[in-house]
Amino acid sequence: MAEATDGASRRLIRGMFRRQRRLVALTAGFWSMHQLCEALVPVAIGLVVDQAVGTGSTTAMAWSLLGIFGLFTALTMGWRTGLWFGTRAELEEAHELRMRVVRRVVTGRGIRTDRQTGELLSIATSDTAGAAELLELGSRVFSASIGLVVSTVVLVRIDWSLGIGLMIGVPILVLALNALGPLVERHTSAQQEALGQAAGTASDLLTGLRPLRGFGGVEEAARRYRSASRTSLKANVGAIKAGAAFVSVSTFTTGLLIAVVAALAGWFALRDRITIGELITIVGLAAFLTDPVLNLAHCVFRLATARAGAARVAEVLEAPERAGAGGTTAAAGPLALDDVHTAGLDGVSLVAGPGELVGVATSDIAAADAVTELLAGTRRPDRGAVTLGGTPLPELDVAALRRALLVEPHAVDLFGDTLRDALRTDDRQEDAALTRALTAASATELSDGGLDHELLDHGANLSGGQRQRVAVARALLADRPVMVFRDPTTAVDAVTEHAIAEGIREHRDGRATVLVTTSAPLLDRCDRVVFVDAGRVAGTGRHRDLLAVPAYADVVLR
Amino acid sequence: MTAILPVATGRATARAFGRKLRRYPLLGLLAVLASVAASVFAVLVPILLGRIVDLVAARGSTGELLGIAAWTLVAGLAAALLTGAARWLVAEWGARASADLREEVLDHALRMDSARLEAAGAGDVASRVTDDVERVTDATQLAADVFGALVTVAITFAGFATLDWRIAVAFLVVFPVYAVSLRRFLPQAERRYAVERRAVAVQTRSLLSTFTGARTVHAYGMEDRQSARVEQASRGAVDARLDATRGFLWFSNVMNYAEALGLSAVLFSGFLLVRADASTVGEVTAAALLFHRLFGPLGMLLFSFNDVQSAGAALARLVGVADLELPARAGVGRFDVRPGVAVVATGIRHHYLDGPTVLHDVSVEIPAGRSLAVVGSSGAGKTTLAAILGGVFPSTGGEVRLGGRPIADLAPDELRRLVGVVTQEVHVFAGTLADDLRLAVPDASDTDLQAALKLAGADEWVAALPDGLATRIGDGEHPLSASQAQQLALARIALVDPPVVILDEASAEAGSAGARQLDQASAALIQDRTAIVVAHRLTQAQTCDRIAVMAHGRIVEIGTPAELIAAGGAYAELWAAWHR
Repeated sequence: MAEATDGASRRLIRGMFRRQRRLVALTAGFWSMHQLCEALVPVAIGLVVDQAVGTGSTTAMAWSLLGIFGLFTALTMGWRTGLWFGTRAELEEAHELRMRVVRRVVTGRGIRTDRQTGELLSIATSDTAGAAELLELGSRVFSASIGLVVSTVVLVRIDWSLGIGLMIGVPILVLALNALGPLVERHTSAQQEALGQAAGTASDLLTGLRPLRGFGGVEEAARRYRSASRTSLKANVGAIKAGAAFVSVSTFTTGLLIAVVAALAGWFALRDRITIGELITIVGLAAFLTDPVLNLAHCVFRLATARAGAARVAEVLEAPERAGAGGTTAAAGPLALDDVHTAGLDGVSLVAGPGELVGVATSDIAAADAVTELLAGTRRPDRGAVTLGGTPLPELDVAALRRALLVEPHAVDLFGDTLRDALRTDDRQEDAALTRALTAASATELSDGGLDHELLDHGANLSGGQRQRVAVARALLADRPVMVFRDPTTAVDAVTEHAIAEGIREHRDGRATVLVTTSAPLLDRCDRVVFVDAGRVAGTGRHRDLLAVPAYADVVLR
Repeated sequence: MTAILPVATGRATARAFGRKLRRYPLLGLLAVLASVAASVFAVLVPILLGRIVDLVAARGSTGELLGIAAWTLVAGLAAALLTGAARWLVAEWGARASADLREEVLDHALRMDSARLEAAGAGDVASRVTDDVERVTDATQLAADVFGALVTVAITFAGFATLDWRIAVAFLVVFPVYAVSLRRFLPQAERRYAVERRAVAVQTRSLLSTFTGARTVHAYGMEDRQSARVEQASRGAVDARLDATRGFLWFSNVMNYAEALGLSAVLFSGFLLVRADASTVGEVTAAALLFHRLFGPLGMLLFSFNDVQSAGAALARLVGVADLELPARAGVGRFDVRPGVAVVATGIRHHYLDGPTVLHDVSVEIPAGRSLAVVGSSGAGKTTLAAILGGVFPSTGGEVRLGGRPIADLAPDELRRLVGVVTQEVHVFAGTLADDLRLAVPDASDTDLQAALKLAGADEWVAALPDGLATRIGDGEHPLSASQAQQLALARIALVDPPVVILDEASAEAGSAGARQLDQASAALIQDRTAIVVAHRLTQAQTCDRIAVMAHGRIVEIGTPAELIAAGGAYAELWAAWHR
């Protein structure tokens, strides 16, 4: 499992660099130019001290000042331009990854994952951004290496033994620092994990805030978040200590490097192997070298977080689909359960052909759940088949299936900022059709202020009944040849329920519709009602006729 | 325009975070001391290097050279140890303060005035307690670096002064440049980053609604449409970020030229001083090297400015919630919870924020131990009335009394021991089933939990779960049906065992077959309690002692079921429709 994820995140990272190669190359190029200039600054200081400060020549000093400004112009341009391209690469790629995660979650039947909504949210936001940081880190590593190479060349030209010594010494230091990477990585991923869990807890509690307030759980909820937050703090402090240890070690190694180089160069200067100016350049360069070395070390440090993010993004992108799909193109036709066995159903057959409005009433909820999930294709029967136009659902191509069959989920989720937005599921739907659908769902009072009526976050400003009616209108508007509703009017009052039943019947005229419900007004409008009791079909017929069956009357007349 | 939660001003943010930091004075003191000591040793290194240059110029001995080199090594070692310690202490200081802050933020979010929360939307709050909290937490290590860099700059300046005060004066030329450009940059940066954070909040909201509604997107096969919505929000966040970066680039350009100016000033004044024999080449070298060493911390400050600004904006959004005024938590006296508590509402009026009035002068009395059903068409104000009677939020006018005491005078925990409300929304909290129930009564024993589940008619299916009470439920865990979730909601109230219960469409969500079990469960729950039942199923209303029919925010009829049917009014009409 861990190895598979490893491979997946490597693929993800390769893909990121491939997509943003142009911007990454520009970033690395400009930052290399910046590093080059940075490496030349101590050289310039040495030159100025040697040629101008030491000699007292005004002309030399004037040239020195001009040179410094020229050097800094190149330096700042390199950094600035690199940062611009780097930021663009990072943001574009984070956006790309975010959209891939979203597509993965919403496409087809979705993915099988044990991540909570809050965790998915954190993957789509902070982890995609974290993964995209790898692009910046790549450019940084490249340019820091250029800085190291340039310094080495300058040093070799002054004194080959020092140059060679640094060429061997610095990579050893960086490798040694790299060895600390896993320690930091472990702490960092523990920190991210704890932070994600605390965020998950927070969003879970906030989602349930209304019920929470109803039963007075606010105190306890706050206490639970505090405990999650304390766990997160502990992990955070662990990561801080690991990071601090890493900084200590890297600072010490660079300090050691500088002291040794300065002692050697001073000794060479005392024996006249090099000039004072060269000594200053060497000491300056040794001091500068800490920059790229620390930069590399810092990158190693951040690499851990970024890779952990990339791994979580890859996990979602490569997660298995919730249910497989075939390639057969769906053709509208009768929707049927054929001798289906599953939890709650013990050999049930029923069929809804074109032009039929079929009610399914069940005496227990497990059976109703089973029928809905089977028709939605999220559950496979243990025995028997669920077919559309004669083809079993799992063999059908999902996209085509969605155009032929709609199973409206019972839990209402609305999208968009306006009523029009919430109703439309594709762009060809005209306002007139929207109004017709709203009328059929008895929701016209919502469009009194026009179809641009503003909906707050999720339609949170609508009542439960209003939300259900908007969902019914949305489904009717989508106008699929075959449609299944599950308890669409539970939060609607009796009078309105009658009107909606009439509206659905008229709107669905000539098409196949299944209503899984125990609502008498809805069942009364059906051409045929299938009554499922104790997992078996206990009666089929018109609602009024079935009322003679005591078990049926007991379920629907309440 | 969507009403969004407040964002604190820069000053308020600094004050609030400063208060949190001051809670850990010892940690703070150690952090500051370690940072200063670390910088002192770090600054010693280039000064010692300058001494090497002077030693070479004066043709000193190898022994002296080795001595200075040894001191350089010692200073480097001390700087390394202290830098690590400083980083740890400063970061832990910040981490503790931000942990306190995020807890306060969630606490405030949970207790916030409902009307404001509804208007802002759960997404805005969620983005603050997840995304912004994460940004601030991540920034604690960064803050340690920034703090260290600032101390280094200050100590370096002191280092200049020990070399030659005239060079130190030359170095001062950079500060006016920094000051002027910061003055220009900061206000626009603050604005740009605030815009960026808002764009990110919009993006978070869009992502959250997509993930929670994924099933609906699947059902309609509208992945393209929904992705396009998210794409637009995400693109908005990217553009806002790029815009903020653009402003930052200008600033960093000026900063680089300030470095060039400073270095030139140091070298040029050194040049003049050496020519006048007032200073040595070694001192000028040390000064130039010192200044050069400042590029690191200065660059660090520059480079992290983006993150510091955006962490600051995130912090301001957190403080915005933490500084929210909470609804008054009046009432301290103990309230003796008697078995019978009457509910009396007089002249209740209500409107949401600036919305229209949804309740007009509603007065109703429910004697202790009796039940009242509330029926009416959608939007009649039933849910609002139920919430106000249950003290979920206060009405904008009128008064509710529980057992003779005004509801506004009750402390929150007193109120919740008196009234339990089952809301329209049903939420299964993540964790074990026992955890879910214990949200209501944290110290309930397993026996209490079993009893509450039995009352709610959930004992059988809970016993059949793979791990019983320890089964993990909630998002992504063992799935519960709508009616099972409803039964849990009833069981939580049964656990609290309040004398007054308010059931808002408690059996509505279960829809079909489970409704009967739920009806039995709610009947058991309202037994011997004062109850208000918002009923959609008229059979449920029929079992209550009295029924109130609501329309357009008013009670239009009230009486026993038999009286209302006999009266031939609105209820009789509903009843006929139901029985058609």
